[in-house]
Amino acid sequence: MTRLKRNLFALLQPIIAVIIGLLAGAIAIVLLGDSVIDTYAEMWNGAFGSFYFLTNTLTRATPIILTGLGVALAFRAGFFNMGSTGQMVLGGLAAAITALYLPGPGWMVLVVSLVVGMAIGGLWSLFAGYMDAKFGINLLISTLLLNYIASLFAGYMVAFPLKDQSGSAAMAQTPMIDKSIWLPKLFSGMSLHAGFILAIVAAIALYIFIQKSVSGYEIRMLGNNPFFAAYGGVKRGRMMVVAMLTSGALAGLAGAGEVLGTQHRYLDGALASADYGWSGIMATLLASSNPLGTAVAGILLAALQTGAMGVERNTNVPLEVASVIQAVLTLFVSARFGYAFLKRRKEKK
Amino acid sequence: MTLLLEMKNITKKYGDFTANHNINFDVRKGEIHALVGENGAGKTTLMRMLYGMEEPTSGSIMINGKEVHFHDPSEAIRQGIGMVHQHFMLFPSFTLAENIVIGGEPKRSGLFDRKAAADKVNELGQMYGMPVDPWRKAGDCPLGVQQRTEILKVLYQGADVIILDEPTGVLTPSEVKELLQSIKRLAAQGKSFILITHKLHEVMEAADRITVLRDGVITGHMESNTTDEEKISRLMVGRDLIPMSRVANEPGASVMHVQNVTLAGAKGAKPLLDNVTLTVRQGEIVGIAGISGNGQSELLQVISGLVQPDSGIVELNGKDVTGDSVRAIREQGMAHIPEDRYMWGASREATVLDNGLMGHQHQYKKGGLIQSHKLRKVVSGWVERFAIKTGSLDTQAQFLSGGNLQKLIAAREFAQNKPFLIAAEPTRGVDVGAMETIHGELLAKCKTGDGILLVSSELTEILKLSDRVLVMYEGAIAGELSAAEATEEQISLLMAGGKRQL
Repeated sequence: MTRLKRNLFALLQPIIAVIIGLLAGAIAIVLLGDSVIDTYAEMWNGAFGSFYFLTNTLTRATPIILTGLGVALAFRAGFFNMGSTGQMVLGGLAAAITALYLPGPGWMVLVVSLVVGMAIGGLWSLFAGYMDAKFGINLLISTLLLNYIASLFAGYMVAFPLKDQSGSAAMAQTPMIDKSIWLPKLFSGMSLHAGFILAIVAAIALYIFIQKSVSGYEIRMLGNNPFFAAYGGVKRGRMMVVAMLTSGALAGLAGAGEVLGTQHRYLDGALASADYGWSGIMATLLASSNPLGTAVAGILLAALQTGAMGVERNTNVPLEVASVIQAVLTLFVSARFGYAFLKRRKEKK
Repeated sequence: MTLLLEMKNITKKYGDFTANHNINFDVRKGEIHALVGENGAGKTTLMRMLYGMEEPTSGSIMINGKEVHFHDPSEAIRQGIGMVHQHFMLFPSFTLAENIVIGGEPKRSGLFDRKAAADKVNELGQMYGMPVDPWRKAGDCPLGVQQRTEILKVLYQGADVIILDEPTGVLTPSEVKELLQSIKRLAAQGKSFILITHKLHEVMEAADRITVLRDGVITGHMESNTTDEEKISRLMVGRDLIPMSRVANEPGASVMHVQNVTLAGAKGAKPLLDNVTLTVRQGEIVGIAGISGNGQSELLQVISGLVQPDSGIVELNGKDVTGDSVRAIREQGMAHIPEDRYMWGASREATVLDNGLMGHQHQYKKGGLIQSHKLRKVVSGWVERFAIKTGSLDTQAQFLSGGNLQKLIAAREFAQNKPFLIAAEPTRGVDVGAMETIHGELLAKCKTGDGILLVSSELTEILKLSDRVLVMYEGAIAGELSAAEATEEQISLLMAGGKRQL
């Protein structure tokens, strides 16, 4: 297969997966006794039906793409970073604190807040890497458990020391961030903010980094065969620092983008309960860790979620149909490994 | 002798590519028929058809004069054909008896009868003179025993014709000898063997008849007592091999020196490396012989910086590199053809191009990016010079045959052009033509004044190339012989732990 074809295939894969997911969803809808065509028409409308819904979908896709990219890089290096949720939460919290308390012109505070969000997310992820290198604590476990620490710590921070005292509502959240520090909206009246541009730029940059740069090459080889990489003089420790730091930074950026672009404050549970981190991991798996494919998959997953909301608004079909489709996607991801195996056997003959 | 099996006018096409063209091949009862040829000559395709894994495009297969059609291996097995694959297919956590009777387990009231299985295995071992301990776990057995188990497995399945695909690739010299004796004994008892190999001395020793394949057609068919290795290799390669004469260089200064290197083993076990001292000088090839597992792998890992020794030092070009990183050591002047190409030498999922880049990645770096245009040109050059058969530079390494991948790895390390080269099993699994190329490159490199440390389990390779031969036994240097005085017998004695002579 040529390189071009391989890239096209990586873009195509998530689309095929979603189609299969939709077929499974159709069966569920038929069993519920509703019209498949009407339901999917509503879903399409909810996701892409108007400019308003389209931008809404892209807004939702932004953190999914960013966390997905972070996971993709770590996966490529052979590190299972399951901690994007926690990295995102801490990145968002750090960005909110910076935006609230750092003096200075709005644009500067915005940039610093984004950078601080990335740094904190990156360090949180690197911490797991450090524990792996130093004490041999399995990354899969540590990154997963660090999610809880991050979420609960952030919850405490906004429930007590940083709690918004101005409003009458007893919400666990920080005060509102000054308007001058918000990520600019791309279209007036729409939710889509500049974070989406950052996500697309990050996807392209990460693609170039992984495919074309020497460090990206070393990361890929390390993920493919760590013995081969060691033999060729690749330093695992250094690559782990690069991969985990960047991976966490992208998740941190996702959190900072949500805080500065959409919610304009840190609201307890808003980042974790929307499952952006897990959707990001799914996007990566659907796209076999290809950054461009991850962006496409991120948009498709977001569309599935916003579309399902449209379905619930306008039909009797419950929101859970989207869960059915997502579950089938997960199955598809696991089945794809089997498919790759079969194909390999066929090509060998 | 009666004709047991006959393959008539077999042709196999994959699209436009003809893998086998009009092949006639037969096997008599009680004979050993060797099928030889280079990698990609079509030996494996032919045997896959016989074993029911592929169906011929045209032609017929007859067993005992009756035409048969196999759609899968189980049908071939039922007709008395068995195959022992190059890579053993045993379950490591099962006992040998369980592995042998698998698919035809003796049962008592519906349950697997382990005792009966063990008895059956003992009986088989007795009958064919290949005893194994039925209760041992396959994973704990040496490779020679695992292979014996594979053969017993096909015998248990009732095979009359046994296909052995590259059976000696992973065996030690004494295990090879044992295997060849065993199959000769089995042949005398009426079993027939098809021996696929490209090791010609084994063919000459064991086979009754020889069929040579090249590029999918038969180029020769003869009785083994009417031919010799040279004739066969000419038929395999299609041209004369140039006999390599090596002129002994006057060795220069030391390029690599290992001083009193020791590496501890597991607690209570013997050290993996026991006070090893050796020097490789400019313009010489130092061969290390030894049965695998006597410290050669560990020695190479210490020299290349993958493992830190517990004591002792490693010097490269006069600089102490003990404790340096792999990259620093490579930059100080080392290239390394690793012993296990799949574990150390390559990434299966990566492309030919990416595999070629390893170790060179900092030479082809500009502004942090890979200079892929330049790299492509260089790797294409290797593909041409070493005749590496690959779809393109973007083909994944897993689709290359073992020999072609080995050539790629060797090309990559020769291209490093460093004053010191580790060549570990440089020709394992490659065909005669490629072996000639790689040996030629090694000798040429040595001639330009570079030093080479050659580790090989093939004694003939060691004797052919080395100026000096060191023998390793249980982690220590058991003896040193000069090229002039080294004989296979002397080395074998030292390899087996015979008396040290320094």
